[in-house]
Amino acid sequence: MRPQSLDIAIATTGWLCLGMMLLIVLLRVRRLLRARRQVALMAPYRRDLLVVGAGEDHDGAGARRLARTHGPAAGEVMGSAVEMLGKVRGTPADELIHLLTIRGEVSEAARRLSSLLAVRRARAAHVLGLCQQDPAVPQLIHALGDSTVEVRAAAAHALGLIGNPVAAPPLLRAVGATDAGIPACVAAEALLAMGTGVAGALLDGLADPQPRTRDVAAHVSGVGAFTRCRPQLRALLRDDADLTVRQTCAAALGAVGGAEDAEVLGRHTRQGVPLSLRRVCVAALGDLGDPEALPALAMLLHDPDPWLAELAAAALLQIDPGAGSTLSDMAGTEATDPRRGRPVASALLVAGLRGAVTE
Amino acid sequence: MSAAEVLVVVRGGLEWLLALGAAPVLVYFTVVNTFSLLIIVLAALELRMQQHRDSAEVASHVGELIPGVSVIVPAHNEQAGVVQAVKALLTLRYPRHEVVVVDDGSTDQTLQCLVDAFDLVPVPRAVPQDVPVEAVVRQVLVPRDGRTRLVVVSKDNSGKTEAVNTGINAATETLVAIIDADSVLEPDALLRVARPFSDDPIRMVASGGSVRAANGSRIVDGRVVRVQLSRRWLPRIQVVEYFRAFLLGRAGWSRLGCLILISGAFGLFRRDLVVEVGGLNNSSIGEDFELVLRLHRHLRDQGRDYRLGFVAEPVAWTEVPESLAVLRRQRRRWHRGLWETLSAYRGMLLRPRYGRVGFLALPYYWVFELFAPLLEALGLIMLAAGLALGVIDVEFALLFLLLAYGYAAFVTLCALAVEEWGFHRHERWRDLPLIMAASVLENIGYRQLTVWWRLEGWWASLRGKKQVWGVMTRTGFDGGATRAGRDRAAR
Repeated sequence: MRPQSLDIAIATTGWLCLGMMLLIVLLRVRRLLRARRQVALMAPYRRDLLVVGAGEDHDGAGARRLARTHGPAAGEVMGSAVEMLGKVRGTPADELIHLLTIRGEVSEAARRLSSLLAVRRARAAHVLGLCQQDPAVPQLIHALGDSTVEVRAAAAHALGLIGNPVAAPPLLRAVGATDAGIPACVAAEALLAMGTGVAGALLDGLADPQPRTRDVAAHVSGVGAFTRCRPQLRALLRDDADLTVRQTCAAALGAVGGAEDAEVLGRHTRQGVPLSLRRVCVAALGDLGDPEALPALAMLLHDPDPWLAELAAAALLQIDPGAGSTLSDMAGTEATDPRRGRPVASALLVAGLRGAVTE
Repeated sequence: MSAAEVLVVVRGGLEWLLALGAAPVLVYFTVVNTFSLLIIVLAALELRMQQHRDSAEVASHVGELIPGVSVIVPAHNEQAGVVQAVKALLTLRYPRHEVVVVDDGSTDQTLQCLVDAFDLVPVPRAVPQDVPVEAVVRQVLVPRDGRTRLVVVSKDNSGKTEAVNTGINAATETLVAIIDADSVLEPDALLRVARPFSDDPIRMVASGGSVRAANGSRIVDGRVVRVQLSRRWLPRIQVVEYFRAFLLGRAGWSRLGCLILISGAFGLFRRDLVVEVGGLNNSSIGEDFELVLRLHRHLRDQGRDYRLGFVAEPVAWTEVPESLAVLRRQRRRWHRGLWETLSAYRGMLLRPRYGRVGFLALPYYWVFELFAPLLEALGLIMLAAGLALGVIDVEFALLFLLLAYGYAAFVTLCALAVEEWGFHRHERWRDLPLIMAASVLENIGYRQLTVWWRLEGWWASLRGKKQVWGVMTRTGFDGGATRAGRDRAAR
């Protein structure tokens, strides 16, 4: 005779397993039914939405029909309109924004920014950004300090879509927040979308104590061609405690630097500097494209690191495609002095394959 | 001493052993299964967070900050699939990536196939020795068009680890992705697995992507076009196992902030840090596990703030063993690698300096991964002997089976529920009962076999027996040509 408790345990385990199997089936059925329902609800409006999204709703009939949706279909239509809004520009985008505004989706989104559900807050921030609601900027800046990362990221992204540079300083501060930061890539994209008005914030960001903030500021300075940031970039390249920040500054100087930066970058290609930074600096010298960089690069052709030497040769060819003949002479020593000859020969061959060498 | 007397002694010993060990063994199984369940719950939370980000449509905005990636593909006698695999890798959706194939002294036509397919020409490039590699590089080749970002390094045969290290040396981008030559990546897998780096370029040092079993799925031109189960039970059970242990398990550990294992079949690392710690350890069998632990130790010793991430959605599809012989070799090697790595890094155990890794992840791996087969085998032997000698009653046997296997089947079904909720990759209705049956059948025979094989691997290591790489006969993803290669290092 088995103890009753054991029988109960066996039965419980069996029922739990069966229950879990049933749950799996139910999850699938629910998902399929929901997808089918969405398709059915959207079916009468799909054509109108496509016409509006394609900018071919010349008489406004499609937009009017979309605006008249009611019941469960309205939610689906508005959701699809938001989705489409992320993919279109110009007149179609304006029409979709108008549609969402008259349907009250925009004002609803502003209210939902303080919802208890994180997914609602994130979605609301996204809608406000897509609809370029400048009045919502203070609320979105506040959302940069939200407790969940998806809301913070959505708010940062939305601020970028709105493009008001007043949000740049809080955005940069939010990047560096110790435990509640925002994704650096989202912040960088948002800052770039805000245009030249973020220059002052970038200068502050480059002096921020948090390396993540400095890194984003340096990156945006380079990609956005903020030449005002050059002195700070040079200083960080020289002194920053974080190697990644130094590398980003070097790449940024390669993009926005002037003739005087050839010497700055050249200084960081010398022995004793971390190899990864030296390599970035050599590539940056090539990107800089200034003839001032040629002597420093010529020195590096004999570097013990073969990849650095090859990068230097490639950078030389990038700045002066006519340098091919001089380099060919060096490459000719490949058989007798392979350490010196091979990197140059390799760079020449690769540049030749790309058609980047002129006789 | 007569047989009857021997039986009495054995019976007495077994009774003593049962009195001593019965309760701890039952508690052990309860704890290990409960912990697995907890990890699955954490993984579900992590997954929900990733889905929320996707639903906010921020995930696709990777932007300019995303670092370049060098995808390193070690290849040894992979002529059947290497061209298709490289084509698929070159067409991955990513703003800046190169593919570095390291032909590890193949004796078949691997290199020639690549030369023909991509019109490769040799370049006199000297591969740097950032990570020391003993094997001689024979030649470096690049496509004649000068645009396709492919580099093929041909070297003397010296094993997968050295091949990967050579690839790291030849890599020119900030990040290195280490994948198996026969792994099939989803088109945006690289984009997603690199996302933690663009989110946090300063602190992120490595991220892992999920690896799933592709056996039975339809693959066209290096892309999985239809996910379906194999017709054989052995791969079906591994599908379930991979999902529970390798996908949800790692997502859960990542949520806890102490991920210590990133699969060698699909992992992304900061190149400069891998170089800093000396690359992959050539003498280690569990080289992927060893590398991650070394990174943890190195960065903690330096007091650096760093992160390791796991992204559940990017998928690398891989072919799992379809025969018991190959599976046995794989599991022996895995457990041997686990033992050798854990013992090599025993100094990190319970040391405050190593934080959660030292206080949570490593103790878990010691107790619930390394010793699991030993304790499970002990329990099974005691059960069988006890029943045979009448020392234990059926109630105890049932309780043991319930806690060890019934509970485990429930945990696996919970994992499947998470899969259905979050991923629903197996869309075919007919696969649903099969996959549920596999999660139950895993506990009948399969699990006991793997226990034995893991003990074999451990024992071989303790005896100092040299590990040899077996030859894995593959059926091939397309079900066509049979492919041969080294047994995979997927963990």
